[in-house]
Amino acid sequence: MTRVTLNGEDAEIEMTEEEFEKVKELLEREPSITELGAFDVMWSEHCSYKSSRPKLKIFEDAEANYDYVLAGPGQDAGVIDIGDGYALAFRIESHNHPSAIEPYHGAATGIGGIIRDILCMGVRPIALLDPLRFGKLKNNPHSQWLFKYVVKGIADYGNCTGIPTIGGEVEFDESFESNCLVNVACIGLGTIEDFKHAPSRAYNPGDYVVLMGGSTGRDGIHGVTFASRTLTEMSEADRPAVQIGDPFTKKLIIEATLEAVKTGFVRGLKDLGGGGLTCATSELTGDGNTGGNIDLRKVFTREPGMTSYEIMLSESQERMAFVVKPEGLETVLGIFRKYEMAFAVIGRTDDSKVLKVFDGESLVVNLPAKALSESPTFKRQEKKPLYLEELLTQKTPKLSLEIDEIIYKLIASENICSKEWVYRQYDHEVGVRSIVKCGEGDSGVLRIIGTDKFIAASVGVNSKHCFLDPYEGVKGGLVEECGNVIANGAKPMAMVNCCNFGNPEIAESFWYFSKAVDGMNDFCRTMKIPIVGGNVSFYNEDEVKKTAIKATPMIMVVGLIEGEENIITLPFKKAGDNLFLIGETKAELGGSEYHSVIYGLKGGIPPKIDDIKIKATWNFIFELYENGLIIANHDVNKGGFVISIAEMCFKNNLGAELDLTDCFDKTLRDDEVLFSETYGRFIIEAHPNSVNKILEIANKHRVDIKNIGTLISKPEINVRGLNYGELKLEVSKLKDKFDSTIPDLMEI
Amino acid sequence: MSIKIAVIQFPGANCDLDTIHVLKDVMHIDVDLIWHNYFKESKYDGVILPGGFSFGDYLRGGIIAAHSPAIDEAKIMLKDGRPVIGICNGCQILAEAQFIPGAFLHNESLKFICKWVNLKVENNNTAFSNKMNLGDVLALPIAHAEGRYFVDSIKELEENNQIVFKYSDEEGELTKDANPNGSLGSIAGICNLEQNCVGLMPHPERASEKILSPMGTEHGKLFFNSMLEFIKRKVS
Repeated sequence: MTRVTLNGEDAEIEMTEEEFEKVKELLEREPSITELGAFDVMWSEHCSYKSSRPKLKIFEDAEANYDYVLAGPGQDAGVIDIGDGYALAFRIESHNHPSAIEPYHGAATGIGGIIRDILCMGVRPIALLDPLRFGKLKNNPHSQWLFKYVVKGIADYGNCTGIPTIGGEVEFDESFESNCLVNVACIGLGTIEDFKHAPSRAYNPGDYVVLMGGSTGRDGIHGVTFASRTLTEMSEADRPAVQIGDPFTKKLIIEATLEAVKTGFVRGLKDLGGGGLTCATSELTGDGNTGGNIDLRKVFTREPGMTSYEIMLSESQERMAFVVKPEGLETVLGIFRKYEMAFAVIGRTDDSKVLKVFDGESLVVNLPAKALSESPTFKRQEKKPLYLEELLTQKTPKLSLEIDEIIYKLIASENICSKEWVYRQYDHEVGVRSIVKCGEGDSGVLRIIGTDKFIAASVGVNSKHCFLDPYEGVKGGLVEECGNVIANGAKPMAMVNCCNFGNPEIAESFWYFSKAVDGMNDFCRTMKIPIVGGNVSFYNEDEVKKTAIKATPMIMVVGLIEGEENIITLPFKKAGDNLFLIGETKAELGGSEYHSVIYGLKGGIPPKIDDIKIKATWNFIFELYENGLIIANHDVNKGGFVISIAEMCFKNNLGAELDLTDCFDKTLRDDEVLFSETYGRFIIEAHPNSVNKILEIANKHRVDIKNIGTLISKPEINVRGLNYGELKLEVSKLKDKFDSTIPDLMEI
Repeated sequence: MSIKIAVIQFPGANCDLDTIHVLKDVMHIDVDLIWHNYFKESKYDGVILPGGFSFGDYLRGGIIAAHSPAIDEAKIMLKDGRPVIGICNGCQILAEAQFIPGAFLHNESLKFICKWVNLKVENNNTAFSNKMNLGDVLALPIAHAEGRYFVDSIKELEENNQIVFKYSDEEGELTKDANPNGSLGSIAGICNLEQNCVGLMPHPERASEKILSPMGTEHGKLFFNSMLEFIKRKVS
């Protein structure tokens, strides 16, 4: 932070000296203090993507060749056409820094922000998903505090607004101890007409600009600049930069906004989030190629005496800006009155291409509307970290424990165990759309009422894998999230991402970002999955310890299921049915839970993705679905395939008789067979009569498939064919371990 | 005769549209969604206060909504014997407005709980349970943070047959594990002395379609059908 004085007024800015010079050059004069504040916010990393933009250019047109993509990157949310006249909007973003400082309000306002992003596409927010990262919980009161209050913040805000939280993901790892990650995703549904009504642009001169919702206070000033630097010991002092959420007002904003959009009089819609009024007015007019006059004295403030600088930069929550056709102004204001929402007509658009902001009589901002979005960019250096060389050569130690003991330990480990403690606190059913509910499947499945369509959504990535190899790791994340929606019967339609990385000014941190973007780009183009949106969160570092978080390029995938009969669920259904392991198992224990939980190792070679084989596996599964041959399906994830089988046994208290003789490459060790985290594998249940047909279709697709056993009514998992000898696991003991870990750690 | 039901939309209600969906699309009942300030009772044969967070549950669940003009209108219906039903937050509003006895405290766990539970029918004469059999066990979800029922004299409720539903296990046993929030006497639903007003914490509107139920049940419909039956009986 630098203190500057202009014309006798003081402010603190984050901007570099070169950037300040560029502002002067652009304006051909000195900026006013309010203008400088506006540039400072809009050119922050958070708003301008100045470090990431050059790299993100490779995504250009990554969504252009899909006729069902209605809105792509650069908009407030990605939007796809799901047929029957419906549009589905979705987006994911980070709220890491505020949550690390003030977990309850940080997480809550994260939810508030992502809801507004969806709302300003003109559609109703219908679901939330939240992938989270914390330090390990055991003997760690700080991590427990963050975890407890982040979950409570999400629950209290999401539950009150009536938007179900239908999914998420949590990992615990020491690299997130002081810099937790709170990523928030929201899905919205509306008619294509609703979406087209209200773009987040002001295209028409002469329209009214109306501010609606909460009042503007001094909270959150410089929230985005605070999010654009690393956390330090001083960050506790930044707590006032975290805003306070008000989910009740948000609920009213949702209803009032949707009702206003339905009138057709709203021609532009923008939420006030990071950068507040500055960001909203400059993007509406700048992107709409218009201009406008705004009078700050019309803005209703929470306290008297706020300066124009403060009003323009305030990030007070629960505010929306509407661009309204003159003839519809009274109708729209009538709706706001019904909901008893505060509002003010703060200005009008014009065709000047200039944004003029008045404070009463005095002109405080007079800028070309596009100037604020033309931030300079930086070409950041990238360099592969030296420590990886050594980590990648780490070998798996000799098997020293009994295998059953290892499996009980794995299923009880923080990253594999049940997350029921979390999702019980989320209202995941409000909206009467949740068909596959939390804990019942690999993804959350929602119905589209009035159609026979369903959408499946899943979010996550494996941070341990990305730490060792961000390129393969992010591809693994894509395989995993697509696999999750496929396991429930869906075809992946589109993805959005949220890139969580360290300081981009450090070459090693930027290398992780760069490789992850390459991985996403390559995989999505090969697999024909449009990238419809993204968010970048840098500076996730602990300055005291000088460590960055493990690279976490979070992936969210949305898929479509046509027909109720095509929804597939995870639990095993009937004793006597056959079990198949689909996909090849390789010696890929690098970054596995097995390495971490049993040996405390971070290294080894992480799984690699073979795009062609993955594609073949997916096509194979789709053909099995078309023929109605799959009774239950679950993708193989952390801890290996025996963990997946155990999870499938739980609900109906079934068991499995497995024979692994001749199923795997003879050079694989027992622990490689059992605990490898090779991506793109599934466990399916099928009727004995289907076996030949399944093998025949597998042969056609050249997919690796193993008939590994049958389901039994006795709740135990017996495994033969290992070098180790016979293995016997009690389903009730597995379930008990799976269920008790987090309650035991959190309920003291 | 044509029956018309009102669903009141308090600011912050969030199960209003779900309730409308079930009544209108699933059960084909004539129903209006009405903003709380605009509600007038005269047109309606029954009223439902839906779930959600009326007025943000600020202060405590239901207390502010209990002072809405809609409650004065509902009181007229209460007095002349028309069904007045509260679900979840609506149930809390009924208790705050003293349409039903008792109060709802924070769950024993101090956390919001969203899960499917079993309900045992204890009184099948009320406006919201007359299509059920005594002892029936029904599957419905709960979703609340303040659902722990408390009342000074449970004996009085028992004597007056005001306990309508209790949390039970699948067999109808009233175990501690089956009581999700620590409610006194496992109570999940209660009625007034006249039995035309019923407050219920679980959500029948989330349990009225097989596709939504993990058990493939649709027990929620019994509640709304009971409401219709109650109106029909009253008229005949």
